[in-house]
Amino acid sequence: MRSIICTAAAIAMLALCGLEGAHAQVRAKAGVTCKPGTEKLQYDCIIKLANSKTNEPLSGLTLTVGADMPSMPAAHNVRPVGAAEDQEKGTYKARIVLEMYGDWALRLDLSGPVRDRVVKRLRFERDRVGETTPARAPGRHRH
Amino acid sequence: MVDFFQNTIDGVMIGSSYGLLALGFTVIFGVMRRLNLSYGPSIMIGGYLGTVLYLNHGAGPLVVAGAVVLGAAIAGVYVERLCFAPMKAGAGIASMVSSFAIWMQLEQAAILVLPRHTYPFPPLATGATLEFGPFFVRIDHLIMLVCALGLAAAVQVTLYRTRFGLALRAIIGHPVAAHLVGINVRRAMLLAFAAASAIGGVAGFLVLAVDQQVTPMFGMWATLKGLIAMMIGGLGSVPGAVVGGLLLGVIETHSQWYFGPQFRDLIAYVVLFAFLVARPGGLFGRAPSPDITTPQKA
Amino acid sequence: MDDYLIGVLSNIGVISFIALSAYLLLLTGEISFGQQAFFAIGAYAAGIATALWGWPLALALVWGAAIGGAAAVLVGIPTLRLHGLYFAIATLAFAEMVRILFELFRYQITIDGELVGPDGADGFRNIRYIFDNNIDAFQFLLLIYALLAVVLLGFVLLERSRLGVIFRMIGEDETLAGLQGVSIAHHKVLAAGISGALAGIGGGLYAHLTTYVEPRIFDVMLGVHSLAYGLIGGLGTALGPLLGVLIDIGVLESIRALSGYRMIIFGGLVALLLIVRPRGLLDENVVHKIGRFWRRISPWARRPGLNTGNRNNLTGGRP
Repeated sequence: MRSIICTAAAIAMLALCGLEGAHAQVRAKAGVTCKPGTEKLQYDCIIKLANSKTNEPLSGLTLTVGADMPSMPAAHNVRPVGAAEDQEKGTYKARIVLEMYGDWALRLDLSGPVRDRVVKRLRFERDRVGETTPARAPGRHRH
Repeated sequence: MVDFFQNTIDGVMIGSSYGLLALGFTVIFGVMRRLNLSYGPSIMIGGYLGTVLYLNHGAGPLVVAGAVVLGAAIAGVYVERLCFAPMKAGAGIASMVSSFAIWMQLEQAAILVLPRHTYPFPPLATGATLEFGPFFVRIDHLIMLVCALGLAAAVQVTLYRTRFGLALRAIIGHPVAAHLVGINVRRAMLLAFAAASAIGGVAGFLVLAVDQQVTPMFGMWATLKGLIAMMIGGLGSVPGAVVGGLLLGVIETHSQWYFGPQFRDLIAYVVLFAFLVARPGGLFGRAPSPDITTPQKA
Repeated sequence: MDDYLIGVLSNIGVISFIALSAYLLLLTGEISFGQQAFFAIGAYAAGIATALWGWPLALALVWGAAIGGAAAVLVGIPTLRLHGLYFAIATLAFAEMVRILFELFRYQITIDGELVGPDGADGFRNIRYIFDNNIDAFQFLLLIYALLAVVLLGFVLLERSRLGVIFRMIGEDETLAGLQGVSIAHHKVLAAGISGALAGIGGGLYAHLTTYVEPRIFDVMLGVHSLAYGLIGGLGTALGPLLGVLIDIGVLESIRALSGYRMIIFGGLVALLLIVRPRGLLDENVVHKIGRFWRRISPWARRPGLNTGNRNNLTGGRP
């Protein structure tokens, strides 16, 4: 019995070590603005991608936009959607459909010449999208 | 020194809402020996019902208050029927997890009806204050304190001076024997559950009116605060629930004043943890071991 | 496999770790509302190790598990004499303390001209190990399931071992177990430590999967969910919590058409399920029956001897 678990552990460790690879790449930063779309829980987002050091726009990438809800980790798996690049370099457009209103962490996955992930937190409401300011917890009133 | 006393006064006032929440919790836990995680969300359902009436029909504070209490009681009965009544003895964890599932359900129902993050709630006495020398007291806070003390007294009298209370205490002491002497245990439990949720509804209305806003997070907040206050005060003790709530409020306002808002909850949890480790029975409890994983032993 | 499926499966795998950690404590009869604390500690520890200290992932995961386990032991010792609701609330209080401390926790250093590290309530971004090392989502999925398989194997061995019997014995009746000469304190702290380490591994994987964690991920919701998984799936076997996670995350995905109502439907279903099966789908009786059936049809299964007979008495037949 013990030998089995040792072997399995060894295999797992080997798998882990096999994952080592190359280092140092271009990093991206992103500016995201979203506004409610025509349908319920649908939002149109404009994403500007740039090299985080040189501020050069990152063009020609494949960008997919997913979303997580930090208050319910792993429970909401919004199907990631592809974003299409606009005429303007480094500007991408995506239409996402969420599952409920509230605070979401948008997950921007970049692939192609640059592989990276940028996470943006936004609060999605029925008629607007804004910053995720924490709601005032009940009972915090002073006069 | 003025600050210190003012903080203490504020703490007592805010703490009275915790005491009210803990009071409902105590009744449920005392009778059922089971944890109802849906307690807060039931109150939130009442709060949303009141908000709908206020927003769509311009209902006044009294109507809203009635709606909150009624809504909470109905949601409470729903929880009891689904999560507690059908469970056999010894299925304490199942009841608890089931009440958690219903929590998710109630929260989503509330979000479906009113999807925004916050909604306005009608104020009570619009934040007017009374002055006592250098000290201020908000009138709505004072109403909250009076309600907490009044309801606690009412619960205590009901438990110890009425036939219904006698029946409840018999059930608390020994459910099987209570059944054998002809007490309708299931009906008494349902009534106790509805009453406890209604007490929670009163607490909910007062807190929401003071805050003047309702959010779907209210459910979790109410469950947590009620639970903490109940544990500090001592499980199953009516005076303990109120005193525990007041103490929690005082601790919170002082820690917020001296250390900042983030320390408010942190210190409350540290105190709770310390109480549990050093004195599990809380202030008023007799430190029994109400083990919710096993059926009650004779 | 498309990205979406990989994402869902990865989530299921990672959450399984914390579900298993809550399940292990349930075996010893304790309800914990606080496993998310060790998940959080594992996530931050492993994330800091790779992103700030440049450790390899394997070492970082082990480190996360070690820190998670150590923290669980530290909580386990003072809460030893607490049971039932008292233990549940004590773990809840601890987990909330940890969450708030992470809101205050700032530890950032400059790497390649950028600030990296936990930044209080704003979270810990750029745990970029899988990007810096060109690990794609599918490889990471395999890693998650390889580790999960090892953990499950560990559980299988545990259930067959003396230690597993002792855990269930303590869960059944602590006093009786004590009378049998079992050191209750020792074993309860051990169970707490193992479960903390399990949650720690899960947290480390989660941090590297999402590349981003923030304190409010680790609130009470996560803890109660992980507890519920074991109860939905069943307390008879370690596959129970996995089934619970699969039902929650997997089945919810398939009723996506009803997205606005899914918690209403799912919550109701869980409540009804627990009325019929208060110890979950794969409870002790079902597992026992499957085991008996298996022994009957399988020529090379172990014949019930003194050892297995004993175990059945202890683990089966809870009313």
